[in-house]
Amino acid sequence: MVMTLMAILINTEKTVSAFHSGGVGPCDACHVMHGTSGSGSALLRGSDPSSTCLHCHERPGSIGPSGHHISTPASDMQQGMPPRQLTPGGDFGWLRKIYIWVPDVSQAPATSYGDQHGHNIVAADYSYLPDALHAAAPRGTYPSASLTCISCHDPHGRYRRNIDGTTMTNGNPIGSSGSYVSSADPQSITSVGVYRLLGGKNYQPRSVAGNLAFLNDPPVAVAPDEYNRSEAASQTRVAYGTGMSEWCQNCHPGMHPVAGSGAPRTHPVGITGRIGSAVANAYNSYVRTGDLTGSAATSFLSLVPFEEGVSDIASLKAHAGTDGSFAAGPDPVSSQVMCLTCHRAHASGWNEALRWNTRTEYIVYNGLYSQEAQAYQPYGQGRTELEAQKAYYDIPSGTFAVNQDSLCHKCHTGALP
Amino acid sequence: MPHLPHHDKLSGICIAMVVLLTMMTITAEAGTVSASYLYSLSDHAGDILYEGGKIFVDPEMNEAYVISNNTVTVFNRTGLEVYRFGENNNLGIIADLALMQNGNILLLSYSRDYRNYQVLLCNYRGEPTRAIEISGVPAGLGDFRPGHIAYYQGRIYLVDQVRLLAVIADEHGQIERHYDIFRILNVKKKDRVNAQMDGFSLDRDGSMLFTLPVMFTACRLSLDEKMDCFGQPGGAKGRFNVISDIITDNRGNYLVADKLKSVVNIYDKEFTFLEAFGYRGAGPGNLTVPLRLGIDSRDRVYVVQSGRRGISVFSLHYN
Repeated sequence: MVMTLMAILINTEKTVSAFHSGGVGPCDACHVMHGTSGSGSALLRGSDPSSTCLHCHERPGSIGPSGHHISTPASDMQQGMPPRQLTPGGDFGWLRKIYIWVPDVSQAPATSYGDQHGHNIVAADYSYLPDALHAAAPRGTYPSASLTCISCHDPHGRYRRNIDGTTMTNGNPIGSSGSYVSSADPQSITSVGVYRLLGGKNYQPRSVAGNLAFLNDPPVAVAPDEYNRSEAASQTRVAYGTGMSEWCQNCHPGMHPVAGSGAPRTHPVGITGRIGSAVANAYNSYVRTGDLTGSAATSFLSLVPFEEGVSDIASLKAHAGTDGSFAAGPDPVSSQVMCLTCHRAHASGWNEALRWNTRTEYIVYNGLYSQEAQAYQPYGQGRTELEAQKAYYDIPSGTFAVNQDSLCHKCHTGALP
Repeated sequence: MPHLPHHDKLSGICIAMVVLLTMMTITAEAGTVSASYLYSLSDHAGDILYEGGKIFVDPEMNEAYVISNNTVTVFNRTGLEVYRFGENNNLGIIADLALMQNGNILLLSYSRDYRNYQVLLCNYRGEPTRAIEISGVPAGLGDFRPGHIAYYQGRIYLVDQVRLLAVIADEHGQIERHYDIFRILNVKKKDRVNAQMDGFSLDRDGSMLFTLPVMFTACRLSLDEKMDCFGQPGGAKGRFNVISDIITDNRGNYLVADKLKSVVNIYDKEFTFLEAFGYRGAGPGNLTVPLRLGIDSRDRVYVVQSGRRGISVFSLHYN
């Protein structure tokens, strides 16, 4: 019996301590109780909240996309080289990249500043500075100087998804993450964390003054277990359910107002942005410029994702993945456009954190993403081929047409509105 | 105060002496090693405000090699830049380097798209003389993508930090041994995505030292697969928060950098905590997110930091 017990002990597999586990990590991992090294009233171990996060989420010397890393340090990105992480949210390292190019002989040099490439988190220990171009969130009031990781992600992971599908900050303890395909489902005595530890209703970091509490709960979505990866061979599909756009409006309330509210007309999103049969048919048939032979079963493009319009986690778990086994396009009844249809949540290689370059006529020209080393660079706009390809998550330019139009056409083919 | 009988006085003195000796022993043990700040690596214009990068210190010449922005910069034993190479990208994307006994440099670099790696044999100027073809990669290793290279007594070590695979090859690149560290550590398959290695270096006998930050663990793996790990998460002195690099000093102690605490912890050969130095702050001897460590033959410790704090050099002192 002793031998059996010993054998069991010896063969016990080691478990990696999931730091967040869907909720709060160890207090003293981020806070220092009695030292002088903490900063501010929160007694953080980093200079600020984002620096504290990046201690784990940025790894210098990383060879390529790996695990939970979401930022590439400046020392790993000499001129012409892209950030290395490929999470669906995007690598904050794009904020460090500035591009200058000459579009054509008749135009002056143009510039794409790093600050334009995404959410400018402030992280002094990692040289991320406040957005120099916006004092506050576009179409909102959230101050740029206070934008950190915890502006969106609740570091204490209080928001949980319960067995009945509700989201709240109290109730059953959080048993594990609820973000992934392999995540456990909530039980009668334990809940799971909401998607990506995002803040929900009434969330507002204590360090940010003013009445900026969130009005909307986190979205329903499921990410594949391996989400930080090159899409050279297969796409990474996050199964977005519902609520993403409404959640973004916590900070950008005027960006996509409800139709008829008197605000300027903007692109519909969220529950008011149901795709409908015309757009769904366009999406499903569109393969590339000049090729409209696609089918609903295989039309998904990770550069133009959509919400399925459902909150059924089991269904979303079946749809998230990296092997391409589920590549269906939008459903004409339930699917909807969301902010992340066009933008990445963290940063991208293009202005406004867009998934593709909307400021040019072509995203691929003459078979290439970039006009690297040419005098005039109207389409690649100063990016090297490597940078542009990384901005498209390593999807080969040959996937598209030799002269590929903007991916707006994925939904808006021909005379669609 | 009550009068004590003579024997009680003796007992009291004995107890006091025992207490005193015990305290002295503790003090001596805790004070066996300390560190003092010397300077930061610089060029003729002043301190270089590196933000991250890798460092390797030549134990023979006490010169430091720093990899940052795809350039290798060489500093002499007084911390002044004396040479640089690779800045024109002619060597690919430089991932790491190691020095051979004859002064030649082994450079691990990648193609610009990171699809292929190579080990370049370079002379002491960083001029490539030939590529060392790594052969005999076992089929089971799959897509082996090393991020670290090391050299010890005619053997080249290559380590894949994501898949936790290590191979040891001879100087011709023929792989002689390989180590599946996940298997040796018995890590669950579902946990392997995040359980990545950060720091890596060699112990004085050629054993491999590495850190697994997510597991709050630092390990020593001998060539015969004997694994010794240490570390516990926590805020108390000597415990791990988010660790990064690990090296050994010239006495066999282990130095482990902790990014979150902004300290370098020192442990003895049995992994007993001895001392920590650095701590967050703006002072010259303080640290901001120590990322990489190097050490020379004089026990001068090089600490690569984030936050544009550059590379601070400390001297270790032993009582």
